[in-house]
Amino acid sequence: MGIITISREFGSGGETIARFLAEKTHFLLVNKEIIIQGLAEHGIKKTKERLEDLVGGEEEDPDGRYYIEAMHDYIYDLAIRNDLIILGRGGSILFHDYPPALHVKLIAQFTFRVQRAMKLYDLKSKTAIKLIKEQDRDKRQYYREVFNVNWTNLRSYDLVLNTEKTDLEDAADIIANAYRIHAEPREIKNGPRGVDIEDRLFISPADAEADQFMHPSEEEFAHMLDFYRIRWEYEPKTFLLEWDSEGNVIEAFSPDYYLPDQDLYIELTTQKPKQAWRKNRKIRRMADLYPDINIRLIDKKGFESLLRKHSIDHDEGEES
Amino acid sequence: MSYRKPHIEDQLKILLTQEEIEEKVAELGKIISHDYAGKELIIVGVLRGSVYFLVDLSRKMHIPFTVDFISISHYSEQTDSAGVVRITKDLDLSITGRHILIVEDIVDTGLSLGYLLRNLKTRNPADLKVCTLLNVEARRIVEVPVDYKGFDLPNIFVVGYGLDYNEKYRNLQFIAEYSQP
Repeated sequence: MGIITISREFGSGGETIARFLAEKTHFLLVNKEIIIQGLAEHGIKKTKERLEDLVGGEEEDPDGRYYIEAMHDYIYDLAIRNDLIILGRGGSILFHDYPPALHVKLIAQFTFRVQRAMKLYDLKSKTAIKLIKEQDRDKRQYYREVFNVNWTNLRSYDLVLNTEKTDLEDAADIIANAYRIHAEPREIKNGPRGVDIEDRLFISPADAEADQFMHPSEEEFAHMLDFYRIRWEYEPKTFLLEWDSEGNVIEAFSPDYYLPDQDLYIELTTQKPKQAWRKNRKIRRMADLYPDINIRLIDKKGFESLLRKHSIDHDEGEES
Repeated sequence: MSYRKPHIEDQLKILLTQEEIEEKVAELGKIISHDYAGKELIIVGVLRGSVYFLVDLSRKMHIPFTVDFISISHYSEQTDSAGVVRITKDLDLSITGRHILIVEDIVDTGLSLGYLLRNLKTRNPADLKVCTLLNVEARRIVEVPVDYKGFDLPNIFVVGYGLDYNEKYRNLQFIAEYSQP
């Protein structure tokens, strides 16, 4: 069984790319429609329109859980007899432990995705922005509820493709070629060239963890916001800060979080004060250029105190 | 386990003396008594840190009132991803139609107080106000109304007068900045 999984940010052209890829590879495309149809043949019907709605509610929905489990079984069944392209559905996690699988993530900047959604669905910009934010939020929640993972972690993928500058058919070609190389590896080496196994670096899990798309402290902070039921968005907006004489942007800033109910941007830094000067400068510059935007910097000390107050041996502590 | 004598002077820097706190608490007691004169008041203490402040404050008030307590679970790194805040000790009294004053020792991020206010509001009290001894505006994430406050503090970690670090220092009569030894 050959497996290509495609995870995509809404508006990054995933469906079109997957269709092209299916034509080129002759793999069976497993998308929403195929699954609904396949499960219906087994008499299993989805109780809600969107997959995300099955887990999104305040209360556990047993029908929703059952549907999701059935869907996972169905995909595994298909994989036994077929070569598959799995679009969404958590495919990269389902086949995470299957080394021959190629896991692809399609990304594009927020503004680009908005433009594409406007064109594709004939939407006004405001509606498109709302739609994409909702989709991102729901997807994040789905991945956490069902798989307990952070879907924005790009390191779970073999290939991350930015679809802003690539023709969608070219993107499909890139993936098809990547799969061919991936599935037929050249001679497998024991380790990095010129390095004896004994000499390999030991990297502690904590350090490895720190090297991720989303910094662990950022993830921790997101957990905390979820805990208190505060809605948040991760890096939803980039503010332009500086232009050169020709009008090209030379500095921009994307605060880590936006809390829509508080109308507040939050930037988290765990750098020591001496190293945080760049960030501080950006925030000052932002305050000058965008006086109406509320932004708050949580520095190393502030974040540590937040965690200390919420630490395990202190979980009944006082905090407001 | 070896017993280590605490080197209090090493870690704690006194910020507010016992006298300063007493004076402020008396002042707050007077203002609150004035504002709630003739109203049916329930003072809600948020366990556990606010107890010391609540007791002293209530003794400086000269109007009738009822006391109740509430406690909510706090976030910890071990909380699993689906975990959400829950009430671990609810109010014993019904607050519908009553005047409620929430008493806190400290308001900083506003995360848990924000949750508490949202929760209590659904019970339709006549009004809902907040009194805190300490206010750390610099740490605010969720905007919460603070109607009565004792002291504004910068972004520092404090202990004493109900505030603890790993259950230590609650019983200090003063408030001090804590720094890790």
